[in-house]
Amino acid sequence: MKRVFVDLDRCLGCHSCMIACAVEHSLTKELFKAVQETPLPKTRIEVKTTEGGGSFPLQCRHCEEPYCIDACIAGAIRKDPETGLVLSDEKKCVGCWMCVMVCPFGVIRPSLIPDRREKVAIRCDLCQDRETPACVEACPTDALFFGEAEEFKKAVMSRARRRENALLNSG
Amino acid sequence: MRYLIVGNCAAGVNAIEGIRRLDKDGEVTVISNENSLAYCRCLITEYVMGTRRKEDILYREKEFYEKNRVNLILGKEVVRVDVSKKRVILQDNNSLSYDKLLIATGATPKSLGIKGEKKYGVFGFRTLSNAEEVIKIGEQVGRVVVFGGGLIGLKAAYGLKKRGIDVDVMVKSSRVLSQVIDTEAAHIIGRWLQENGISIRTGIAPQEILGDKEVEEVILDNGERVRTKLVIIGKGVMCNTSLIKNSPIKTHWGILTDDFLQTNIEGIFAAGDVAETRDIATGNRTVNALWTAACEQGKIAGMNMVKMIKRYPGSIGANSADFFGLPLISVGYVRVKEEGYEQLIKSNPKEFKYKKVVLKGNRLVGFTAIKDIENAGVYTALIRKKVDVSSVKDILLEDYLDYPKVRELLEEKEGLRESISMQGETIKIA
Amino acid sequence: MDKAKKRSIDRASQYMLERADKENILTAWDRLETMQPQCGFGQLGICCRNCSMGPCRIDPFAEEEQTGVCGASRDTIVARNFIRMVAAGAAAHSDHGRDITHALWLAAQGKADAYGIKDEEKLKTLAREYNVKIDERSKEEIAEELAVKIFAEFGRQHGEIRMPLRAPEKRIKLWRELGIMPRGVDREIVETMHRTHIGVDNDYKNILMHGFRTALSDGWGGSMIATDLSDVLFKTPEPILARSNLGTLSPDEVNVVVHGHEPTLSDVVVDVVRDPEIVELARKKGAKGVNLVGMCCTANEILMRHGIPVAGNFLQQELAILTGAVDLMMVDVQCIMPALSSVASAFHTKLVTTSPKNKAPGVTHIEFKEEEAYEIAKKIIKMAVENFPNRNGNDIHIPDENQDLVAGFTAENIYNFLGGTYRATYRPLNDAIIQGRLRGLAGVVGCNNPKIKHNFGHVEMAKELIKNDVLVVVTGCSAIADAEAGLLTPEAAFKYAGKGLQEVCEAVGIPPVLHVGSCVDNSRILIALTNVVLEGGLGEDISDLPVAGAAPEWMSEKAVSIGCYFVASGVFTVLGNPFPILGSKNVTNFLCNEVENLLGGRFAFEADPVKAAHLMIEHIDKKRKVLKLKPLMYH
Repeated sequence: MKRVFVDLDRCLGCHSCMIACAVEHSLTKELFKAVQETPLPKTRIEVKTTEGGGSFPLQCRHCEEPYCIDACIAGAIRKDPETGLVLSDEKKCVGCWMCVMVCPFGVIRPSLIPDRREKVAIRCDLCQDRETPACVEACPTDALFFGEAEEFKKAVMSRARRRENALLNSG
Repeated sequence: MRYLIVGNCAAGVNAIEGIRRLDKDGEVTVISNENSLAYCRCLITEYVMGTRRKEDILYREKEFYEKNRVNLILGKEVVRVDVSKKRVILQDNNSLSYDKLLIATGATPKSLGIKGEKKYGVFGFRTLSNAEEVIKIGEQVGRVVVFGGGLIGLKAAYGLKKRGIDVDVMVKSSRVLSQVIDTEAAHIIGRWLQENGISIRTGIAPQEILGDKEVEEVILDNGERVRTKLVIIGKGVMCNTSLIKNSPIKTHWGILTDDFLQTNIEGIFAAGDVAETRDIATGNRTVNALWTAACEQGKIAGMNMVKMIKRYPGSIGANSADFFGLPLISVGYVRVKEEGYEQLIKSNPKEFKYKKVVLKGNRLVGFTAIKDIENAGVYTALIRKKVDVSSVKDILLEDYLDYPKVRELLEEKEGLRESISMQGETIKIA
Repeated sequence: MDKAKKRSIDRASQYMLERADKENILTAWDRLETMQPQCGFGQLGICCRNCSMGPCRIDPFAEEEQTGVCGASRDTIVARNFIRMVAAGAAAHSDHGRDITHALWLAAQGKADAYGIKDEEKLKTLAREYNVKIDERSKEEIAEELAVKIFAEFGRQHGEIRMPLRAPEKRIKLWRELGIMPRGVDREIVETMHRTHIGVDNDYKNILMHGFRTALSDGWGGSMIATDLSDVLFKTPEPILARSNLGTLSPDEVNVVVHGHEPTLSDVVVDVVRDPEIVELARKKGAKGVNLVGMCCTANEILMRHGIPVAGNFLQQELAILTGAVDLMMVDVQCIMPALSSVASAFHTKLVTTSPKNKAPGVTHIEFKEEEAYEIAKKIIKMAVENFPNRNGNDIHIPDENQDLVAGFTAENIYNFLGGTYRATYRPLNDAIIQGRLRGLAGVVGCNNPKIKHNFGHVEMAKELIKNDVLVVVTGCSAIADAEAGLLTPEAAFKYAGKGLQEVCEAVGIPPVLHVGSCVDNSRILIALTNVVLEGGLGEDISDLPVAGAAPEWMSEKAVSIGCYFVASGVFTVLGNPFPILGSKNVTNFLCNEVENLLGGRFAFEADPVKAAHLMIEHIDKKRKVLKLKPLMYH
């Protein structure tokens, strides 16, 4: 199952992923117009900080056994049997915040979205309309990776090996 | 294998999914005394508000039962469980046999225990038919009385107020939500509701309901008389255990269950508002009559009916609400009455902001937040996992307490639904 | 070829882009693609690196208002960043002006014999303006004193600089009322840096008004000085025929490309390539001679004055080297891509930097000094000639495109032209506008930017404007774009212009698009507009005129300064890409709306050149209406 992984060593905390996510979820999907929309579009990924001061981009993990599905009193969340994605139907959401209350990652946030007068719970939907999620494409250092867990592990390992070799070669 | 489920709401529907996850072929039958397909009970507030129609609040799509090959029997009440013969007896004297049984009959609103309670115009606020009646009468009279300041009472009041019907909430204790959150938080919510037009009176209980066949007037315990045609009662619920009254199945407040949600009788399980489980925060046995708990229990009980493979970690008191745009979240043990607990509070009543954490030793056992509720789930996870939070104690009340700050604490523990340690957010290579 | 066609409308450039692709040589277009997506914070102007408490960024999508660590609001951050761009652009122009003044000063003292006083009349006019005595003095004496007085403008501490006093009375009064009369050329730039330092100006309008003042110290200061003194030193241009585009490179002559901005370098080279010693050397090396071409603004300088061919504009600089036919490219300052050294390394082309302000690692640097101008230039040209035999004969690809053009229009000679043969006056121009034969005037200027299809913005806009009987004046890379599209020829009037403009062009023998010079020569447009006002019948101030400005493919900070001095002079100015200010609604609203009430000019952003042309036409029509001019003859 394709997910977004983070090579934390590469994340510089620039927040470009957040801008790209917000623009992707705006009505106009263009940066200059998105900043003028009402309500302003909201990012589904957030760059948090770790205790040590490092950056940590965080979005819905699309858990195997999601807490949020059990908590949703509107039955608005489901796990797609094929893709494994945990998807919220924003139209069904009543803004009760049960999902916010149980998500251990804190990646569901109350937000205003177009066509809804009151806030609803929003989360990362892995950009269903795109081949690659907007955040991954926007990342200037390739810290964000979209693919299978095995592919990610391989990519990170080979990056580390290249780094080591470069260090050895530079003497 | 014949699986029989009594009850077709949160616990029942999730039990169907739990069973079907492990057994695609066994026969699954569900009996419900309601005439409708499973609906989201909590959304009757939105139904009253007018923001959702009946068809919008179905819990699963219409084809759900067919897709899962469930034999659904609606409108029939189970009155007795014959444990030795492994069958249930219905109101019309028919019976159904089972190999494995799940009792998910839920709970019923408690009555006030006063004269005149049975007149037409007195309703609990639990079912869709309750909601329909409430709307019908409420729109006629324009003013309604709600007894009870718990979440049910307040949600009923909120729904009606948003629909344009005035409400008087009357509460026995000195504040609303007295069984849910602490005094200070309760006062913040109470004040907010009042500022938004819901009248709240404290220290008052109903004494008698007057009227012919219909409600006309209520006499309060201070002697005052209130003219009204609609009385809503939100005074808690009682588990529907009458069907096992004369059976060997043990009950207390609710049906007693073990770590696998099995009752003292092998092959008979209980889940949902009818079940009594261990509370993670307090360690005591209790009935946490919450939609979330019912879903979790239903799913696990369903799986265990096929094969005893999943332990239920325990229930947790977890409530959330949003009144006029002010969110409230409360988890675990927050109304501290005993010694041995530490409470850290950050309160700004002027801005209707409140945050509290309750610690027992080094463990987080309770959390309340009003207004700034992002990351609430992180606290819930800390409570569930019973981790030692001393390393983050000084930032527990900060808005920036989030998952990355406590990641190491949570990921050490196994089995947080296998969902955190997967995905390997980082693979650090030295 | 499809990719190339998407990147440029010019066939020569398309051909070279195809070649770049085949040879795997990266160009600015490729680098733009790899840079995507570009930082949203930067694009919106809401990133601040002015102090070490940062770097700070404002989240444009947050619910609550954010500020930088120091407390600066997004308005302050955006405004500060903006005026620093203005200052950088003004600095480039003004430093160029300073260098020309320095050359004049040296020449006047006989210390730099490559230079002389070529336009004595203009010298005297300036001398009168600066209160320099001219009776019974040699031109060198006059020039020396003038140069010293003009130097003083740069360092002026009290009072006002002089050239803004050329503007219409009403305009000067307005600038004084608003407190934005420039006080000293360098001073305004210094104050910009000061005000934008952490913990100084925190009011976006105050910041932006100083930005306008800084721009004015450029347009009516540094740039104007550069233009006027270049005219004195190198001659005031007259209409002249020439050719443009990469086809001006020669297959059998030594090709020398001079690229950059300052004519103190390029004008000398014009003479050097005719030096008999050089010509002889070239023949010895097997070349038929030496072919000098220019790129960017320095090209415009020697084009306007000497008819030297212009091989291309900003985005074509790498493409020129890609022909394989450039034996030497000599550069001075501004708009010179660092990428040139790596492109040149794939060919025999020698790249030489000449200014102490512009060096590049691994690139030959031969420092140009005015005192030894001719000798140093000769040295460099010799290198070019010596390099001719190193051409890889099989690998030369010079496109055919080699378009005719007419350039050399100035504020002074437009008058001569439009005045008819015996009277120099703007009257016929004004009358044409008043009568409705001409709708109005437009200035289309500025750079190239790979974000806009190369030359498309300039050419389509110019065509749309002239179709609607707007006489267009152009400078810089925009002029070169129009040249390459054939718009700078009288014939273009018949192909593309509306009937009214056609009639004017036919009567006077001019193209519908008039090339008035390099980027510092945008100051010529300011003078022309002033002359139109003074001639009468079209209002009392530049902001009354039915005119508009545009920079459809702007890229550099110089363009920001130019845009600001035009707006500050009362001209509605449309830009292709927006300024990096959209992160602040207030700043955007101020620059695109409110400022019109203060300065009579404002900005608009429109990337589609035809739509932008119509914004300008609408504006021009509005002004015509207010002036109660006769309806248009042909629309």
